[in-house]
Amino acid sequence: MSAWLRTPVGMASAATLALLLLLPAILPELMPQNQARFWLANIFGRAIIYGIIAMSLIFLATYGGLVSLAQMSLAGVAGYVVAITIDGAAPSIVGGLSYATAIPLGIAAATLAALFVGLVSVRTRDIYLLMITLALAMGFFRFVETNLAWFNGYEGIRNVLGPSVFGLPFRDPHVLYYVSLTVAVLLYAGVLYLVRSPFGLVLQGIRDNPRRVAALGYNVALHRIAAFGVAGFIAGCGGVLATIYNIGISPGSIGLGATVNVLIMSVIGGLGHPIGAFIGSLIFAFFDTFAASIYDRNRFNTLIGIVFLVIVLLSPDGVIGLAKRVGALMRRD
Amino acid sequence: MTQTPAIELKNVGRRFGALQAVRDVTFDVAMGERRAVLGPNGAGKTTLFNTICGDFPPTAGTIKLFGEDISHLPAHTRARRGIGRTYQQSLLFDGLSVLDNIFVAVRGVKLNRFSFLVPGRSDAHLAHARDVAERVRLTHLLDVNVGDLSHGQRRQLEVGMALAAEPKLLMLDEPAAGLSPVERPELLRLLQNLPRDLTIVLIEHDMDVALPFADLVTVMKDGEVVVSDTPGRIQNDPVVHEIYLGHGGRKH
Repeated sequence: MSAWLRTPVGMASAATLALLLLLPAILPELMPQNQARFWLANIFGRAIIYGIIAMSLIFLATYGGLVSLAQMSLAGVAGYVVAITIDGAAPSIVGGLSYATAIPLGIAAATLAALFVGLVSVRTRDIYLLMITLALAMGFFRFVETNLAWFNGYEGIRNVLGPSVFGLPFRDPHVLYYVSLTVAVLLYAGVLYLVRSPFGLVLQGIRDNPRRVAALGYNVALHRIAAFGVAGFIAGCGGVLATIYNIGISPGSIGLGATVNVLIMSVIGGLGHPIGAFIGSLIFAFFDTFAASIYDRNRFNTLIGIVFLVIVLLSPDGVIGLAKRVGALMRRD
Repeated sequence: MTQTPAIELKNVGRRFGALQAVRDVTFDVAMGERRAVLGPNGAGKTTLFNTICGDFPPTAGTIKLFGEDISHLPAHTRARRGIGRTYQQSLLFDGLSVLDNIFVAVRGVKLNRFSFLVPGRSDAHLAHARDVAERVRLTHLLDVNVGDLSHGQRRQLEVGMALAAEPKLLMLDEPAAGLSPVERPELLRLLQNLPRDLTIVLIEHDMDVALPFADLVTVMKDGEVVVSDTPGRIQNDPVVHEIYLGHGGRKH
């Protein structure tokens, strides 16, 4: 660990983490108090939460070679389970559960749903995998949108306020920020650990050469399904946070737009390392929020489209790829 | 009583649509035997290999491994029964280091192969992976990304990965393919130093490699076995000369 901290990557990671931890203290020095609170929750907090969902996509894509478009839906499964089961949601569908029970239940449901997605798509790759996961995502979206009894249809479920943390409401920007940051750091460290484990190495083997993996004695299908399960767990954690952040969930938050946004975040950040998820998500949150001041609120899609094109044209492997190339150039000089 | 053969092929066939790639192949390989399979391009050697290793099942006939019918078992189960193999074109994990490639190969047949726990420095499988790397002379490249290896080093790793799980039957598909005259003898030395009790089936184009190595040679053409005999007799067999050497015209 101490040796890792002396490497350039280790130092950069420690510095970034320190900066993120101190951010709630730094922001008020740079801007008025109310703006600082907005930035903390609606730019950085949101970027971290959606970054977690994007990281579940990047985990599968980078280490398994599996690009899944079902990740936003899996986040939605967790969000809906929490919204359906907790006390105080509007409308109350099942209710009766505390957050301490509903949140693990939601994450478990997302993990199980992801194992199902993995099972259904286990024999597909590339474009076919993309299509089958998109079909599952859109199927779930339509089901939720039209089902009134369980999902309250188009309206969705509101008033999911989140648990209180050390006596403070979850909605407090500091609480939202620090809880999201803690969850993100734990999941990020977990992903970096997992990819060095035998499971992670075999998964990367499947990405490079599934035939060889089978010839060595591994059950390729089992590893792929398990990888989906892990990604579902990550997406589920992000989904619970996103639902609380949005004070509820509706079909719009798991529709085609939301599904594609997760992919756009991942590609902007870079499908090559889990950190790309958070970089992409931060850039996305920034443009989404300030599209109105930069150009026109209604032109957000045009704006993010241009950002997407510029980054992909400059660097097909996203901001991370760009950073790597700049780093290599600087070392050469 | 005769000993159970390592592999028994009985009327094995493999068809791809209208193409009969392998037809009615019947032969045994005894325990500890070294068998070479020769034949011109398109003779069905690699298809036969893939059928034995489980990349796809045979469309006809039965394959027995150590007396057990494995004809319809998936590739990973056959590997756990003791088959290790190399590929004509190296199939490696380019995104992983040399050590991680061998480590993955070591663990594939172990009971705890599915694990979420990162191994410690003193992990027995990791130590075994280092030993394998030394056997195939890649110790100095343990941390190098496999995508950065030379062709020769990739071939050495290919053999290393097949040996890593300590198979009882080793299937080598043209291990010396594409090697330079400098690299070739090194690989041959490596193969010749393999334990004598290991059963080996070798596909090879090059007679100079195959004949000194093999106890028995099987020659294939158009998906069928033409003849199986000792290397000495194969070398002087007029039929073999006609179908194999005659057209190749370069090996004696």
